[in-house]
Amino acid sequence: MLFEFDAEQRLWQDTVQKAVAKECPPTLVRAVVDAGTDPAPLWRVYGDLGWTELTDPADAVELSIVLEELGRATDPTPYLATLTQFAPLAEGLGEPGGSGTAVFSGITAQQADGGWVLEGTAPHVLDGDRADRLAVVTEEGVFVVSAADVTVVRTPVFDPVLHVAEVSFDQVRVTDRDRSAADPERARDIALMGLALTMVGACRRALDLVLDHVRTRHQFGAPIGSFQAVQHKAADMHVAVERARALAYYAALTIAADDPRRRLAAAMAKAAAGECQALVFRNAVQLFGAMGHTWENDLQFAIKRAKAGELMLGGAAEHRALIADLTAEESRATHV
Amino acid sequence: MRLTFDADVEAFRAEFAAFLEANLPEEAEAAERSRSTGHVPGWARRWQRSQFDAGWLLPGNPPEYGGRNATVLQQYVHVEELSRRRICRSYNPQGVGIIAASLLSFGTEEQKLRWAVPILRAEITAALGMSEPGAGSDLASLRTRAEPKGDHFLVNGQKVWTSGAHDADVLLTFVRTDPDAPKHRGISVLLIPTDGPGVTRRPFASYTGPEDKDFNEVFFENVRVPAGNLVGPLNEGWRVANGSLGHERTLMWLGEAERLDAVMRDFTPATALDKDWYATLVMDLQALRLLGSAALARAARGEQDVPALSVLKVFGSEAAQRALERALEASGPDGLVHPAATAPYHHMSFDDDSASWFNRFARSFGGTIAGGTSEIQRTIIAERVLGLPRR
Ligand SMILES: Cc1cc2nc3c(=O)[nH]c(=O)nc-3n(C[C@H](O)[C@H](O)[C@H](O)COP(=O)(O)OP(=O)(O)OC[C@H]3O[C@@H](n4cnc5c(N)ncnc54)[C@H](O)[C@@H]3O)c2cc1C
Repeated sequence: MLFEFDAEQRLWQDTVQKAVAKECPPTLVRAVVDAGTDPAPLWRVYGDLGWTELTDPADAVELSIVLEELGRATDPTPYLATLTQFAPLAEGLGEPGGSGTAVFSGITAQQADGGWVLEGTAPHVLDGDRADRLAVVTEEGVFVVSAADVTVVRTPVFDPVLHVAEVSFDQVRVTDRDRSAADPERARDIALMGLALTMVGACRRALDLVLDHVRTRHQFGAPIGSFQAVQHKAADMHVAVERARALAYYAALTIAADDPRRRLAAAMAKAAAGECQALVFRNAVQLFGAMGHTWENDLQFAIKRAKAGELMLGGAAEHRALIADLTAEESRATHV
Repeated sequence: MRLTFDADVEAFRAEFAAFLEANLPEEAEAAERSRSTGHVPGWARRWQRSQFDAGWLLPGNPPEYGGRNATVLQQYVHVEELSRRRICRSYNPQGVGIIAASLLSFGTEEQKLRWAVPILRAEITAALGMSEPGAGSDLASLRTRAEPKGDHFLVNGQKVWTSGAHDADVLLTFVRTDPDAPKHRGISVLLIPTDGPGVTRRPFASYTGPEDKDFNEVFFENVRVPAGNLVGPLNEGWRVANGSLGHERTLMWLGEAERLDAVMRDFTPATALDKDWYATLVMDLQALRLLGSAALARAARGEQDVPALSVLKVFGSEAAQRALERALEASGPDGLVHPAATAPYHHMSFDDDSASWFNRFARSFGGTIAGGTSEIQRTIIAERVLGLPRR
């Protein structure tokens, strides 16, 4: 395999970076958090830019480029949930311009009157409070329902930009027309990829902020970035980000190609992003000194987004267990 | 970015696989082991020569230098096939990977024919004389003196750690030609044959055992070196050193990938704790290959990005060391037995010559020390990749 963006992908990355810098600057994120600014106009901009149409798994690398940049920017819209959780499950049952999310567990489906009745409560649903539609994974299949059919309560979380909600299904009737043929396992891999890229982007942002800080902050008559203990922490952050980024895009490649290595690659992406955020969070806060402890510092947005990612859809340790099992299976398969 | 290769690359892979099928030495034939990185047994010389002649030794090179002008993707699958089969292409790895490569970048046409080609064809072997007792991490402080005397240089001084020097025919030697210039500006590079008067080599053992003699002290006492053996311009040896270190770090990360691959195959995790580090190893290997493939592509385009290689070097060597430490510790009392083959033996593989988990772990420090220590790599990353200020 060759891990290098081709000319088209570099151009796309450049386009996306410029658009994010213009449309989703740190001042906007700050305003969303501190002044309650509504991110809905930004969501419409993403639609105008065509970013909400990147739902074909074959475009996974292009989608990943957007996700990484939005991770860097601490995107305040429901883009991640819509594109990497809802779309892969809904497979065409969404509405153009609408947002969505996924409910991966906790809901049961009972057959009734030629249809099904959905029942149950799912905690911690990403963007559950503001998604227009929800794709629900049950033992009877995947169903797509409208937000109007469920009860949602937003949960306060430590990441002030993130939306998480408890979603309750009380006798929600669905029919065959609401049933999606999507493969939930593949959808889950895409969701893992999405979180991994978001976390990688957030970690890159944290590192960028740290680098700026240690270049300009002086102590003992020198920029603190010239002290080796500081330099080596920064170097470790860079290596961790490079590693996690490589594995995140590798997952995107396997998803785009529907390659059999997809499941392993998605687990590696999520685990590596998780390992990366642990180191980046620790070193970033440490290297900022007390400044890293303040509400005023935008560092908080990046590191909270990265840490929140670790807590969703399985952490690094859980995915490492899966990786070991999958690898053992694979080597058994190739050695017979 | 791509996951799979086009038909032409797969055809290239198949052609190489067929070559290996037909030419790979049998285990019985390969009975004589290499005793140092400067010693290539007869069978291994024939093996390296057959790769050179068929253009498989360094496929990216033109045919006169052991290649076939292969594309970067073709070079990548070549490495993949070797690594997958645990095949060592040369038992004088620094000769082929660092010294010949440096000569092809910086040497004259005559030097390429006189020295690089014979090294590539395994007719002679070479060792790398950089470090000195007083110049380790601070390589530029080296003091081995070479006085320009018209048609020759007069060399006096000492090198140390010179891997395989006692078995090597020639040393690529970094010397001080202008003691008055700032330390990076007075360095030059000489090819010094080891059989001339005044060159003394004293091999000494590594901590893995008294029989493991690869390290050398090399003493130069009034050694006359022909002026034609100067590699690159006079006093511009630091540029050559950077090129050589780039080649060395490339060689090293490729080696670390092979080491990780070998642990992955040789170790079967049984407990939950073992599975946990084993998964990290699987991820490290995959990430190293991904990042490495991009570095190989840059190198094939002629882009010199030596600082970026520090990422691969520090990451690969520390990942391998961590995995080997875990594998050793998981082996329990079986791992005590020395020099027991507590890990499988492969006749075509360099590192598995003494295959105990202890030896493999102990040798992993070569990866984190040689070619610039991990600490030095981190400083390079901070200052030259991330642009942090220098002290
Ligand atoms: C297996 C092996 C094979 C080798 N083969 C060769 C060879 O063929 N030819 C050759 O020329 N050399 C060879 N070397 C030598 C190698 O290049 C040196 O060991 C290496 O450059 C480090 O130098 P040193 O050993 O003198 O350590 P030192 O430079 O003394 O370093 C000791 C410790 O101090 C740390 N340190 C030093 N300076 C700094 C700094 N500025 N900041 C932070 N930490 C610092 C180092 O990281 C290290 O942890 C080999 C070494 C090994 C282990």
